Amino acid sequence: MTRIFTVAQMEFLQLVRTKAFLIGILMMPVMMALAIGFQVYAARHTDTEVRTVAVIDHTGTLYDALAAAAATHNAENGSGETQIGPHFVPSRVDLAGKSVDAVKLELSDEVRGKDLFAFVEIPQGILESSEDAAAVRYYTETPSYEPLPDWIRDVLNREIARQRFTSSGIDPSLVTKLNARVPLSSYGLVSRQVDGTVAEARETDPIATFVMPFVFVVLMFMSVMTGATHLLNAVVEEKMSKISEVLVGSIEPFKLLLGKLLGVTAVSVLLASIYFAGGVFAIFQSGRWDLLRWDLFAWFFLFLACAVLMYGSIFLALGSACSDLKDAQSMMQPAILLIMLPYLASFAVIRSPDSPLAVGMSMFPTVTPFIMMMRLAIPPGPPLWQVLTSVAIVLATTTFLVWAAGRIFRVGILMQGKAPNLPEVLRWIRA
Amino acid sequence: MTAITLDRVSKRFGTHVAVNDLSLDVPEGSIYGFIGPNGSGKTTTIRMIMHILLPDSGRISVLGRGDTRAARDDIGFLPEERGLYKKMQVRQLLRYYGGLKGRDRKTLDPVIDEWLERLGLTSWADKKIDALSKGMAQKVQFISAIVVKPRLVILDEPFSGLDPVNAQALKDAVLELRRQGVTVVFSTHDMGTAERLCDRIFMIYRGNKVLDGTLDEVQSRYGHDTVRVRVTGGMATLGRMGGIESMNDHGNYQDLRLTGDPQAFLQELVRAGGVEHFEVTKPSLHDIFVRIANPAAESLDVPEVMA
Repeated sequence: MTRIFTVAQMEFLQLVRTKAFLIGILMMPVMMALAIGFQVYAARHTDTEVRTVAVIDHTGTLYDALAAAAATHNAENGSGETQIGPHFVPSRVDLAGKSVDAVKLELSDEVRGKDLFAFVEIPQGILESSEDAAAVRYYTETPSYEPLPDWIRDVLNREIARQRFTSSGIDPSLVTKLNARVPLSSYGLVSRQVDGTVAEARETDPIATFVMPFVFVVLMFMSVMTGATHLLNAVVEEKMSKISEVLVGSIEPFKLLLGKLLGVTAVSVLLASIYFAGGVFAIFQSGRWDLLRWDLFAWFFLFLACAVLMYGSIFLALGSACSDLKDAQSMMQPAILLIMLPYLASFAVIRSPDSPLAVGMSMFPTVTPFIMMMRLAIPPGPPLWQVLTSVAIVLATTTFLVWAAGRIFRVGILMQGKAPNLPEVLRWIRA
Repeated sequence: MTAITLDRVSKRFGTHVAVNDLSLDVPEGSIYGFIGPNGSGKTTTIRMIMHILLPDSGRISVLGRGDTRAARDDIGFLPEERGLYKKMQVRQLLRYYGGLKGRDRKTLDPVIDEWLERLGLTSWADKKIDALSKGMAQKVQFISAIVVKPRLVILDEPFSGLDPVNAQALKDAVLELRRQGVTVVFSTHDMGTAERLCDRIFMIYRGNKVLDGTLDEVQSRYGHDTVRVRVTGGMATLGRMGGIESMNDHGNYQDLRLTGDPQAFLQELVRAGGVEHFEVTKPSLHDIFVRIANPAAESLDVPEVMA
C-alpha cells in the first residue's frame, strides 16, 4: 500500500512541477481576461474613423432625418481623445440632370479613390412599398464593416415608419406608447413554508441556471484532459526510455497503475480546487451567496474523481499499448473525442435537462460525470434515484476500467515494436 | 546455500521457445556471468528471475523463496536498456527507485551518499538526469540498482558503452559488492570481462544451457586443443600450412585448432618459416563462444519477441 503512495506522490510532484500545469493554471484566467478585455477595448476604441457616405435620396424626404441622426450619433460618440466610436458623415447627392447610373459610376470611383467610404441609394417608392424592389441599396468596397449599414437601416426604418404613420393620420408618439414592450421575468416554484405561509418564489437568474452548469462542465473537462493526457504521455515516455522495466522489476504493474491514477486524481482535484477558490472569492466579492452550493461541490469532486479514474485508465492502457509518441498521438484522438462528446452534448442538455436524451446520457457511464453534474447544477436538479443510479453505474464502470487497464498495462508496458490491434488487446484483458 | 535456483524452467512466446528446460544454481556470494548471443534467452531468463515474466513450466526460487515476487525487494536490478527519468534530480530519482522497493528516505540517504561519493558523483546529486553524460547516467543507474543494499544484484550488460575508466570504476564496484557478500549475476558480450571477473560462467544458446561452471571447468571441457602461434610471414605462412581446422586471427598472433598432433604441426611450421612463439593452450572463452554460436548460425533468423 505504501508503494502505491510512493508512486502517487512522485506522479503528483512530477505533474505539478511541469510547465504545462503551471501554464494551465495561470494562463487560463489570464487568457480569458485578455480575450474579454481585448474585445471590450476593440469595440470601444479601435473604430474612431470618419465614415463618409453619399446619399442618393429619390424620395427627397429621408436625407434630412439621416443627417440629423448622424449629428446625434457623432455627438454621443464624442470626439478627440475621448472618442469611443466612428463618426458617420452623410452627404446629399444632387443628380444635376445626369443619369443615375452615371452618378453611381462617379461615386464608385470616389469610393475606390478612398474619398468616400460608401454610398446609398434610397428608391422612390420606399415610403409606400416594402417590396424587395423598394429596398435601400448600400454600395461599398468594405462589406465586412457592418456598423454603418446597420445604423443606416435603423435610422431609415424609424423615419419611414414615422412618415407612414403620419401620412395615415396616426400620431407617431401614440404608436411608440402603444408599442411599448412588456418584460417577462422567470421564477422558480412557490412552496409552503413550515409556518404555513407561502414562500415567495425566487426569481431565476441566468448566472445560476446557465453559467454555473457550464462552469462545472468546463472545469471537469479541463481537469480530466490535463490528467489523462499527462498519463498517456508519461507512460509512453517510460516505455520509450525503458524505465518501465525498472519499475515492474520493483512493483506489480497493477500497483503502479493505481499509484499513477491516484497521483493524477490528486492533481485534478488540486486544479479544480484552485479554480473553486477563485470562484468562491468572486462570489465573496460580488455578494452572490445564493450561487454558493456546497452540495454541488461534493458531487463535483465525486464525479471528477470517477471521470479522472475512468479516462485515466483508458489513456494509461492506450499509452502502454503504444511504443512511440506518434502511435500515442493517433491513439489519443478517438479517446479525446470520447471526452469531447459530453462537452458538446452539454449545449443540448442545458436547454432541456429532463429530456429523454439528457437522462439517457447521464446514465451512460463515460458521459455521466459531465452530464449528471450539469443536470445537478441546473435547478431544480434531477430526481435523487437518477443520481444514485448513475453513481452506481459510474462506480461499477470505473472499477471495471481500472481492472481492464491493469491487465492491458501489465502486458503492454513491456511490449516493444508495433502497436497491438484490438483483438490482441482484448486477449490481454482475458488472459 | 544458493541465491538463485532454476529447476527445469521453460518459457515460450507463441511458437518461439525462448528458454527451454533450463536448470541452474547460482551459489550465494559468487559472481556469475551469463553469456550468449543476442536473442538466445538471457534477458528472458533474467526477467523470470525478476518476476517480470512468469515461466510456463518449472520452478524458480530466489534467495530461498519460491515466490519470486517476495524476493524482489532484496534484488537490485540493472536492465539491459537503461531507464532514468530525464527531468528528475539524481538524489530524487535514487530515493524513488529505493522507495519502490519499500525503503524509506532515512535508510536510503546514507547509502546514496556513500555510492555517489565512491563513483565521483557527489557534486551531481542535485542535478537533473539530462544534464549528465552517458557514463555518469550509467553509474547513476548502477547506484539505483544497489541503493536498497540488495543481497542479490542482477546486472544486464552493465559495462557496455562505457569508457575504460568508468568501466573499471563499475568493475571495482562489483568486486566491492562481492566483498560485502552480495551475489552478483551479470550478462555480458565481453568475454574478456567474463573471464576476469566471474567465478562461474553460464552460457545460453537458443534457449538451451550450453555451458555452466567455473572458467577452468568450461575450458577443460574443450581440452588443450588450441595452439597460439606467432610466425615470420604471419598469415601468409600459415595459409600454406595443412592440418588447420580453424583459425582465429588476432593480428600479431593467431589461435589455431589443429586436426592432428601439435608437435608434428610444430615441426612442419619450423620447416615453413621462423617460429617466434608457439604455445599449446586452453581455448579462450571467446573461442568457445564462437565455436558454439558460429557466425553462420547467428545469422539465422531468431525471432526477438520480448527478448
